[in-house]
Amino acid sequence: MVKGALFKKSVQDMRKSLSQFISIFIMATVAMSMVVGLDSIWKTIETQSDIMYQESNLSDFWVTAPNPSDTELWKVLNIDGVEKAEKRFTVNSIAQIDGKPTLKVYAMPAENTLDLPDVESGKKLSKQGAVLDKSFANAHHLSVGDAITIEVNDKKIQFHIEALALSSEHIFATKDASTILPDSKKYGFIVVDEDRIATAYGGVKPYNQVALRLSGSADSKAVQKQMDGIFGDDLVGVVTRTDNHSIDMVSGKVQQFKTLATVFPIMFFLVTALITLSTMTRLVEDQRNQIGILKALGYSKRSILWHYTSYGVYVGILGSIAGVLIGPNVIGKVLIRNLKFLFTFQNYDLSLNIPNIIFSSILIILCTGGVSCYSCLKLQDEMPAVLLRDKPPKKGSHIFLERLPKVWNRMKFSSKLIARNTLKNKARMIMSILGVMGCTGLIIGAFTLYDMVTGVSKTTYEKIYTYDQKIMLDTRTTDRDIKNLNLDGVVQDTQETMMELTAKNGIRKMAGVSVFSKDSPLIHLQDTAGNRLTLPEAGIAMTRKLAELMNVKVGDTINLKRSDDSYVPVEISEIVYMVSGQGIYMTNDYWEKIGEDFKPTSVLVKWNKKDDSFLSSDYVESYVDRATQKDNFKQNLTAVLSAAFMLITSGGILAFVVLYNMGILNFFERVRDLATLEVLGFHQKEIRPLVLMENFFSAVIGILFGIPVGMAITYILQSGFGDDLDLIGHITPDKVVISAIITLIFAIVVNSIVSKKIRTIDMLQALKSVE
Amino acid sequence: MSFIRFDKIEREYIVGDSIIKAVDGVSFSIEKGTFNVVLGQSGAGKTTVLNMLGGMDTSTHGSIFVDGEEISKLNEKGLTTYRRNKIGFVFQFYNLVPNLTALENVQLAKEICQDPLDPKEMLERVGLADRMNNFPSQMSGGEQQRVSIARALAKNPQILLCDEPTGALDSGTGRMVLKLIRDVAKDMGKTVIVVTHNAPIAEMADTVIHMRDGKIYETKCNECPRNVEEIVW
Repeated sequence: MVKGALFKKSVQDMRKSLSQFISIFIMATVAMSMVVGLDSIWKTIETQSDIMYQESNLSDFWVTAPNPSDTELWKVLNIDGVEKAEKRFTVNSIAQIDGKPTLKVYAMPAENTLDLPDVESGKKLSKQGAVLDKSFANAHHLSVGDAITIEVNDKKIQFHIEALALSSEHIFATKDASTILPDSKKYGFIVVDEDRIATAYGGVKPYNQVALRLSGSADSKAVQKQMDGIFGDDLVGVVTRTDNHSIDMVSGKVQQFKTLATVFPIMFFLVTALITLSTMTRLVEDQRNQIGILKALGYSKRSILWHYTSYGVYVGILGSIAGVLIGPNVIGKVLIRNLKFLFTFQNYDLSLNIPNIIFSSILIILCTGGVSCYSCLKLQDEMPAVLLRDKPPKKGSHIFLERLPKVWNRMKFSSKLIARNTLKNKARMIMSILGVMGCTGLIIGAFTLYDMVTGVSKTTYEKIYTYDQKIMLDTRTTDRDIKNLNLDGVVQDTQETMMELTAKNGIRKMAGVSVFSKDSPLIHLQDTAGNRLTLPEAGIAMTRKLAELMNVKVGDTINLKRSDDSYVPVEISEIVYMVSGQGIYMTNDYWEKIGEDFKPTSVLVKWNKKDDSFLSSDYVESYVDRATQKDNFKQNLTAVLSAAFMLITSGGILAFVVLYNMGILNFFERVRDLATLEVLGFHQKEIRPLVLMENFFSAVIGILFGIPVGMAITYILQSGFGDDLDLIGHITPDKVVISAIITLIFAIVVNSIVSKKIRTIDMLQALKSVE
Repeated sequence: MSFIRFDKIEREYIVGDSIIKAVDGVSFSIEKGTFNVVLGQSGAGKTTVLNMLGGMDTSTHGSIFVDGEEISKLNEKGLTTYRRNKIGFVFQFYNLVPNLTALENVQLAKEICQDPLDPKEMLERVGLADRMNNFPSQMSGGEQQRVSIARALAKNPQILLCDEPTGALDSGTGRMVLKLIRDVAKDMGKTVIVVTHNAPIAEMADTVIHMRDGKIYETKCNECPRNVEEIVW
């Protein structure tokens, strides 16, 4: 029973160094649960959206063009790589129910196979029937069998709800990019019969989009380019999957969590390896004699090596099992709850990224088992007789500081001892510094993230926008109507629309265009530094992030595609900073100068006295409070904030485990020295710093290194937010100080635990013999 | 009154369910400036006596007086101060701090004492003037023990306690170390107590306290202690 005896020995050994093996276990668990938990989030989003894209047969891109003819369709179908091209009609309608919510109408020939609704319950049969957005139906307490009336092209049409469904184009269901949080009460979709919708357009089927499906090998860009030739002036624009706000948000979130799941665990894996290294090195050194005995007894090199390797392997396996359990069940469950506000999926069952779980498990076992094996290797080649002899006394050595007599001679005696001790254990020192660095970095990152999110909502909804309400106007309401109403308060008309922009370098973007007067009393544009800007007399202002994406700068000229489909060159005169809603801004004078009509789509009002009769009048389509917008903005980012708090927690665990480990190892290693000092008559308070100062040193150095790490983390976080949000995190001194203080508190707590241990030193035991 | 007095000292240890009396009713007196040996087999309780005298262990019953002070009544902090100012220790395994050089190990003592002696002088005195900047790992056992003696004496203690100081050394080196302890202590007027199981060593002592099973078996005064050189073991 050779194996049995050695196994019992491992269990005993681990029990003796329980706290250190628990530390390794905790680090391995944290590392694994972070990988598995964060992975499960993006994997779930990806899996669920893929299921929906598959089931609804989502197109590769859409061509927007009024009344595409059969010839045009035929030409599109003949392009190499195009598998399917189908016409459809889509328009926003107003549902004739409480709150006048918007329903996006989709109508298509019955034989269409692309972009079908993902029916959850019921079945669409009749021409009078409609498939309604399930979330919208739930929000309005509508169900199969009810009727709903929508207003399209000023005509009201009634439908019977025959089925409820989800849509691939409505996973992240916002009306446009400027709405931040999906609200099923205000926006949904409805799929209806094309003949019924035609009644609102005088009997003509008003197709306005061609959905395309390409073969796997087709070059999407090349196909898109040919659309100009086929549709000519009729071409309004090409909407790719990334131009679709919902699809873009989904893939953006996937990307965001992929980044998180890759970057953060790295540090934890590294620290796991370092903790194992320092623990096992000590254990193996302590057991020098025992290794000698085992060898003398005739145990093979391999079985001894495996014996010590197995310590790490056991802990690594346990850690990875715990991580696989905790990751999805804690991290995954908490984060997925936040995502329910954002994405409408069939279900939110967590999917696991199995290949990466296997890979990370192997990695963590390498970090524990592999490192254990390494630390045992160097004793393997010694002869048993050498190992059985007493360990030669630890070598003391001079350190570089001694070559600077000015510094060295002025140091206090205890400082000299601490300096020598610290510099002799470089691996342990690096471990502690890394641990503390990671902790500080994570806390700084989390604070900056929190600050960024709350800060930008403050900047946007308190400094940039100062209206009380933004009132979306009915399409028939004119500029003159607003003037005649004489609303009691500060009033600002704005026109918001989408336009295609083309830069000289060929980059094309559909972007939001906002037009308002130069004095702009309720929108205060600013630059990235927060200085107030006014709209240029001539030319446009572009948001920083859009300029970055299009690779243009102040002074460049871009082409705007006007509503009459001709291009007009405009100069970028100003770069403005806008957190959400990237686009361009110009004055109404300039807007008219480039040949467009100024027709306000919304009016911003800062009320002296709120005019409820106006708000409920036919002039108004809907309205939103600035406070609501601010709340929604924050809520959109709660998932990110939850992640931030998890980062702080894991940073804390990291610092705690590492510092505790280092403190305990220091203590055990020096227990003889400390006992000697105690016998010589050193008081407790004189002995304590000898052990604890080392922790403080590495804490301080770690904190300093943690600052750039925090910056890097912040950068990774802010660049992971997708194209729509332009977040700039500022690492301010107060954040650094607070993070440093938090880290120091961890260090102090750990030190007080370790100093309790110091009190238990048994002088007599420690002095008896050389261990 | 004697410089050191043990009065009916008992020391009990609780091991599991049973009580073991390591020291059972020990009384003796020691005069200032004398060289004393506590002799006994292992387990006789001699180290426990030394530890109690050195303020590293406390007695269960009885009183210990040192220089008129009842140290058996001191608390932990008081004992530390007592060790710090009055006691110098020399151990079987030297107990040098490996990360400090010979000189620095001796300076350790200087750090905390009220009236320390010059560390360099002490090292010269034990014959290690040229090894001051060596680390313990670079020295032989005898050299390490000499550093440890220098460290104990640098504190300028009243009492020098040595627990099997030759236990880990060969007899030649051991004799040299004992001679050093004896000579330096005599020069400086220190009271020395050496604990050993090695009977011949007792021949060099002024007083020999022979212990057996936790009790004093015999106390003997040597009228004319022998020189270390004459002792063979």
